[in-house]
Amino acid sequence: MARRWCHCVIAALTVMVACGCRVEHASDNHAKQQIFYQASLGDPRTFNPILSNDGSSDDAMRDLFDSIVRTNELTTLPEPGLAESWDVAPDQKTITFHLRRGIKWSDGAPFTSHDVGFTMQVMYDKRVPNSMRSILTIDGKPIEVATPDDYTVVMRLPRPFAPLLYSIGASILPAHILEPVYKAGHFNQAWNINTPPRDLIALGQFVMTRYVQSQLLQYAANPDFWMRDEKGGALPRLRGQTTMIVSDLNAAYLKFLAGQLDVYSPRPEEVVSLKENAKELNITVASNGVDTGELFFSFNRNPNHYVLNGHRDPKLDWFTDINFLRAIAHAIDKQGMINLCFHGLAVPAYGTISPANKLFYDPHLTDYDYDLKQSAALLEAAGYHLGPDGMRVDPHGNPLVFNLMTNTGVPVRDQMCAMFKQDLASLGIKVNYRPLEFTTMVEKLDSNFDWDCVLIGFGGGGVEPNNGANVLRSSGQLHIWYPDQKTPATPWEAEIDKLLEQGTAEMDTQKRVPYYWRIQEILHDQLPIIETVRQLRYIAYRNTLKNFQPTVWGVYHREYIEFTPD
Amino acid sequence: MARFLIRRILNMIPLLIGITFLSFLVMSLVPGNFLSNLKMNPAISPQLIKEMEAQFGLNQPLLVRYGKWLWAVLHLNLGTSLAFNVSVTSLIGSRAVNTIILSAASMLFAWVIAIPIGIVVAVNQNSIWDRILSFLAFFGMSVPNFFLAFLVMYFAMKINSPYLPVGGTYSVDYAQLDWISKIGDRINHLILPVFVLGIAGMASLMRLMRSQILEIKNSDFVRTARAKGLPERTVIYKHVLRNALNPFVTMAGYGLADLLGGAALVEAVMNLQGLGLLLLNAVRSLDIYLVMGSVLMGTVLLLLGNLLADVALVAVDPRVDFSSMGSQ
Repeated sequence: MARRWCHCVIAALTVMVACGCRVEHASDNHAKQQIFYQASLGDPRTFNPILSNDGSSDDAMRDLFDSIVRTNELTTLPEPGLAESWDVAPDQKTITFHLRRGIKWSDGAPFTSHDVGFTMQVMYDKRVPNSMRSILTIDGKPIEVATPDDYTVVMRLPRPFAPLLYSIGASILPAHILEPVYKAGHFNQAWNINTPPRDLIALGQFVMTRYVQSQLLQYAANPDFWMRDEKGGALPRLRGQTTMIVSDLNAAYLKFLAGQLDVYSPRPEEVVSLKENAKELNITVASNGVDTGELFFSFNRNPNHYVLNGHRDPKLDWFTDINFLRAIAHAIDKQGMINLCFHGLAVPAYGTISPANKLFYDPHLTDYDYDLKQSAALLEAAGYHLGPDGMRVDPHGNPLVFNLMTNTGVPVRDQMCAMFKQDLASLGIKVNYRPLEFTTMVEKLDSNFDWDCVLIGFGGGGVEPNNGANVLRSSGQLHIWYPDQKTPATPWEAEIDKLLEQGTAEMDTQKRVPYYWRIQEILHDQLPIIETVRQLRYIAYRNTLKNFQPTVWGVYHREYIEFTPD
Repeated sequence: MARFLIRRILNMIPLLIGITFLSFLVMSLVPGNFLSNLKMNPAISPQLIKEMEAQFGLNQPLLVRYGKWLWAVLHLNLGTSLAFNVSVTSLIGSRAVNTIILSAASMLFAWVIAIPIGIVVAVNQNSIWDRILSFLAFFGMSVPNFFLAFLVMYFAMKINSPYLPVGGTYSVDYAQLDWISKIGDRINHLILPVFVLGIAGMASLMRLMRSQILEIKNSDFVRTARAKGLPERTVIYKHVLRNALNPFVTMAGYGLADLLGGAALVEAVMNLQGLGLLLLNAVRSLDIYLVMGSVLMGTVLLLLGNLLADVALVAVDPRVDFSSMGSQ
């Protein structure tokens, strides 16, 4: 009896596996389907664009919503979005946006100035935690928004504020759907990840059709999308898009190799192998340009950490001594880091703004050459002498020893710290290197200031240099080397504060540039942050893709992407 | 039996409170909190961090937060995930089913294959099969399963077969398939992870079965059974096997807790929609209520599994009864 049971179970299992084998997948031919497959690292956390604070959520909503002003990925200049044009009044404090007519939300309701007004109202509401409010608050005052008619939005600023055109690129919400929710006090729970995708009323090139947690996001072309190509043809040209959610890059790489993804951003170690097999895989591996962020060493200059109970730690004197800092800058082996950590696919970084930011990058800076002899000479001249035991001591006889930290989980940073430690050891400086969990590191940088030196990276904050104000301004919370200053600790920090002010008050982009060049020059000379290298970004994509124009700022004219049928 | 059950269930209450409090304490002692990840983002103002801290109640003292959490749990409310801003129950519930299917299938795979093999190699001790299978068992036990997962994924990518997809829980067009294909699609996606998870479990089960049988095969009552002329089949299946079962009953009890947590690493590597990945990310981002929700569920399952195993042991082994267990 038991044996017969056994046979039945085995037979049933075989049958099940056999029908498993016969699954026909229409999805195998992306070109025929005109469906674009990409990967995203991690699940979105919200589908409410105003509440989003993370890259995964932003990626998931990128093609659903639109803003009144967009940033052109090729020129990095502001360009018309939902607003077809705007006028700046002569006093530079009133900007009138003229919205496009005939745009519809995906449920058929018309898009009007009321949607813009509502979105701004939500952003300024203190009960809605969102990152836009501080960006759109000028000298502590909000922007006054008026909507004289359905297609006009007038914004009155407290003072001329140039970053507005970049900052106003926030997603506009459908007031007819979300205003009742907002008035009922449920805005913070609205459009969360459990919301059915059909309830997300959008006006971008796609509408979301399905979301399966940690598996995929599916989108279909929005038939009412407002953009038209040069010949008046409908956009987007794709019929849909699928974003596969993966937990790590290895899984995405395997999926790209297996043909399940149409695009992949390879890591430096994968670029060479992809290039070698490009023909066989029928892909193109293209360089995108230099990374938009920065990766730098910084020394703690916060007296709150070093001056305790009347005792002053000598480290504060070293870390504010320009000669010491210059010696360190000359001891960073950028080429070695590029070759060893980035497989040659990186460039030395000189300034705080990436060359990818064509408008504001300062091309006149020169690098601190890697030269340990010069470092040693600089240290000797400044009174840091080499002791008989091979340890270097400061003018008061204290041995040069300090702690270095970075966050765990990024192998490249670990290698860079090891190289830094070794080079400094040859100068007679002892570095105690300890990688820390990210949250622990943040706690030290942000709250207890118990650190000496850090290797840290910041992502690019977009084209607008004022987005980095929280790092640059002496009173900023992210002014890493000495945050939250009541009054600027040094004359050059005071100058940066002033330049930031002037840079935002000037409305003409070309006239703004010199202010930000000066800021880069000051940081380069004073070395509160010592730049290392910037990775070269690559992208690999199928040759069947047409009109695919990737840049470091995103894909240019995404609406024009299509597959050539083979 | 009723008294035994009541006492065991009452004993669970302080255990549950102790375990959850310790977990809560450990999560809170970690430097930083959920919002630390936002602090290094230049676009996020310190004022926003403060507002969110107040909104999530992260600025309250530890005991107050634990008390509030416990009070909510008593009302069957596991709280709200900080990262996703939706209830923990909905997050865990949506994924637990997949994890349970995967764990149950791999457990079934391991048990169905390991036990007969264990019996065969024990009966034919020191034969060539015993040596080969023992070697394979040690191999299966010593290869970490996340590494094995990478290996099989690489293998699947190389052969690029429609039956063996490279990770994932469903195909992208799952929603458009008819129901038979849906089942087939799920099975295709289960084959590799079940194999990876099953191998490790299988190896240890097989070794345990083998040593149990070897131990009992040489005992006096087996010799008696043989002496009175019973055929070898009956000796092995009726007497030896029956006596070898006790540790397996206990293991099955622990297995109940493993149903939810045992597959975490493999799920993360093979990109399966389960609890593993969700919780791994929750721990790393210090999403405390999501972590606590899963700790609570895991603990309840472990305690329940133990209880069930003890009850089953009484049923299987006439030498064990409830009074002797109570005195342990």
